[in-house]
Amino acid sequence: MTTPILDIRHVSRFFGGLAANSDVSFSMQEGMIMGLIGPNGAGKTTLFNCITGFYPPSRGDIFFRGHRLNGLTPDKVCKLGMARTWQKVRPLAKMTVLDNVMVGALARTNSLATASEMAMQQLRHVRLDHKPKALAGGLPIGERKKLEVARVLATQPTLVLLDEVMGGLNPSESEEIILLILDTKRRGITQMVIEHDMKAIMRISDRIVVLNSGEKLAEGLPREIVENQEVVAAYLGESVE
Amino acid sequence: MRSLPVLLLAAVAIGLFAFPAFVESPYALHVMILLFLAVVQGEAWNVLGGYTGQYSVGHAAWFGVGAYTTMMLMQYEHVAPWWGVWPALALAVVAALVVGSITFRLRGPYFVLASIAVAEIFRLVALNWKDVTNGAEGILTSDLPPLVVGGHTITDFVSKVPFYYAGLVLAFITIAVNWGVQHSKLGYYFQAIREDQDAAHSLGIPLTFYKNVALAISAFFTAWSGAFYALYVGFIDPGTVLTTEVSVQFVLICIIGGIGTIGGPVVGALVLVPLSEALRANLLSDLVFKLRLVDESSRTGLFLKDNLAHAHALIYGILVVIVILFMPEGVLGWVRGGLARRRRGAAGGAAEGAAS
Amino acid sequence: MQVFLQSVVSGVLVGGVYALIGIGLTLIFGVMRVINFAHGELLMVGMYLTYYVFTLLGIDPFVSIVIVIPVMFLFGVLLQRVLIQRVLDALPQNQILLTIGLGLILSNTVMLVFTSDYKILSTSYSSGSVMLGGISVSQPLFVSFFITAVITGALYLFLLETDVGQAIRATAQDREAAQLMGVNVRRMGLLAFGLGSALAGTAGALVSPTYYIFPQVGSAFTLKAFVIVVLGGMGSIIGATLGGIIIGTVESLAASYVSSGLKELFVYVLFLFVLLVKPSGLLGKSRM
Repeated sequence: MTTPILDIRHVSRFFGGLAANSDVSFSMQEGMIMGLIGPNGAGKTTLFNCITGFYPPSRGDIFFRGHRLNGLTPDKVCKLGMARTWQKVRPLAKMTVLDNVMVGALARTNSLATASEMAMQQLRHVRLDHKPKALAGGLPIGERKKLEVARVLATQPTLVLLDEVMGGLNPSESEEIILLILDTKRRGITQMVIEHDMKAIMRISDRIVVLNSGEKLAEGLPREIVENQEVVAAYLGESVE
Repeated sequence: MRSLPVLLLAAVAIGLFAFPAFVESPYALHVMILLFLAVVQGEAWNVLGGYTGQYSVGHAAWFGVGAYTTMMLMQYEHVAPWWGVWPALALAVVAALVVGSITFRLRGPYFVLASIAVAEIFRLVALNWKDVTNGAEGILTSDLPPLVVGGHTITDFVSKVPFYYAGLVLAFITIAVNWGVQHSKLGYYFQAIREDQDAAHSLGIPLTFYKNVALAISAFFTAWSGAFYALYVGFIDPGTVLTTEVSVQFVLICIIGGIGTIGGPVVGALVLVPLSEALRANLLSDLVFKLRLVDESSRTGLFLKDNLAHAHALIYGILVVIVILFMPEGVLGWVRGGLARRRRGAAGGAAEGAAS
Repeated sequence: MQVFLQSVVSGVLVGGVYALIGIGLTLIFGVMRVINFAHGELLMVGMYLTYYVFTLLGIDPFVSIVIVIPVMFLFGVLLQRVLIQRVLDALPQNQILLTIGLGLILSNTVMLVFTSDYKILSTSYSSGSVMLGGISVSQPLFVSFFITAVITGALYLFLLETDVGQAIRATAQDREAAQLMGVNVRRMGLLAFGLGSALAGTAGALVSPTYYIFPQVGSAFTLKAFVIVVLGGMGSIIGATLGGIIIGTVESLAASYVSSGLKELFVYVLFLFVLLVKPSGLLGKSRM
């Protein structure tokens, strides 16, 4: 049994009296895609924020490739090889598409020329290489999401956290993203994906973790999760989207 | 004609260097010196405010440190200013880094407030530490020592010409540094911080470190302009170098021209300096009278004649309001927007032409 | 001990007036998220208004508040309508710059029209004092504290009991939700700036018997107002009240025990301290 690339042990996160995450534990093996699902407010993004260093967990430990992440700042977490995208996409609006991705690439090099090459490579992967000089703020939502993926991949991560990267996209755009995710997996990069699109999650995930009201409700293979009565009940309890 | 901008720049540079050979009027040299000073101040503020998005309205602090340290070293310790300016710059940078480490965890308007408070603290210290800074009386300089290199006296600083060249070189250096920053990893990181701090953080950018780098560069050149100002004008006191008005002036130079660009502060300086000089020299009121807008001997006329010269700060205030309301991207941004709109209009017309 | 008590009492009394300034500022911020850098200048306008009402009409400054309040209210509404409203969606930095510009316009217009000569408004009681249990207290300060208390009380009642007041509070709490509930948020903005301006102007009227009146007097008050508001918590009226009293006391103690010239320094250092340790202030929400 190899060391998991990401090991989440009894993580809790409190805000005042509210437990946004409560005793969550699971681990991820290198190269896999973990789906993280749960109704709105289940604590998924909070967990992402804890993992990537935006705030430390109130309790518990997070290990990434053997390093204890608690209390590390987001920039150090990125340098260690973990990158994340945002639920509400965050382009660097007044910078160009190419410059956006170069910012990511500059995490690994000090040379603008090298960064530019690395950035163009990522843009080719996500098929945005036809408009490198366009302003990021002017892109439609689908392209902004792809840009964000290209940008995080430019930081040469070993683990990528994707937060509802398909949110707000039409079916063909979602399909593009799904293919991207699978392509990223082929490149050997581990991924954790928060998503509400169940069909997509079923397709791409090797394993799924279900959160509900801050607690881990279930964990297992996709078909196990789908048949889990508690999971179904948790989703039915939430209003229809 | 991609080399056109470079050629233009070279022509301007040569013109500026040759200027004193053709123009002897001390007043013209004076205006140019003020222009260079404003360019340095604007470009310096731009590094922190324009690129990195941290709007400091307390940069008078660094201006003051540069001015006071250089002056005090010269007056009390008889250190020639071309030596004394270096410890002044070092002190300004160190002070800036200390302040930055404390205040950079604040965001947006809270950072602005903190920067104002810091500058006020510096001003109050200068005002009250009478033993060191002479308090409200300020420091008056005797003449600058002559600049002697290898036995030859290059200048004794009696005419304005040496200040002209010093100012010109300083302005060029500041612009060159801004250009260098913009085209380096620093520039990318600064702008990323401005656009979205949290995203930048998650992309491996240590925020406080890079903000401090931007501040250090910014404070360095602001302090240098302070030293230059002190030596050129010959008198400083807390009321002229450490007030919020001074800080606002730096910001104004940038936002009038266009924040976050290299040309912006230059344009801003070109607008502000002639404007304040025209006010001071009563040119504006003279113009109003010549245009018969107001009768010179009427009450309004007399009032204008007496007061327009002091209306500096009022004009600054009006300019700020106008720029923020109508041209938040500054003159350069406004021009760029106009060009883009015309291009789109032409493209649309061409497409229509092709379609029909 | 006598000195200490004296300082504290003076400080609390001045703090009451400071609280008025702070409440106005926090109201504007609470309702519109605008940081009004011209707030001190509004106070200054109130001072000049009071001065001329006194000099030309012979009306006592404390009585002239009945004129100052509506005039300053209308002035505030005008400023909101013409200027502030247009930058509600702009970057906070631009909003700040706009209000800084407004402040410059106000102070320098007053300077042009009325010159920068220091004016003094002296009434028969300007240097009078009242004995409070063995402590001598400035008479005008004493009276202004009570007027402040009355106004603050009236304001609380207005915000808590009237429909309009509750609409203002709703807008401050959640602009979008208030709008969905039918509140005219634009009008709330006009009201908020008008009220804030009226409160600042009133504070100016109250301090006019005891301060020199000159065009630049506002700037020290602006920064102080921010310290008060940050200390109390941006958006919290009770916080601003508390903050005002605390700052008044700190300043008074600093003036007594250290030096009068340095008392502002203490306030600004305290400001930085609060910004760093608890930027949400005593009663504010942690939003930053």
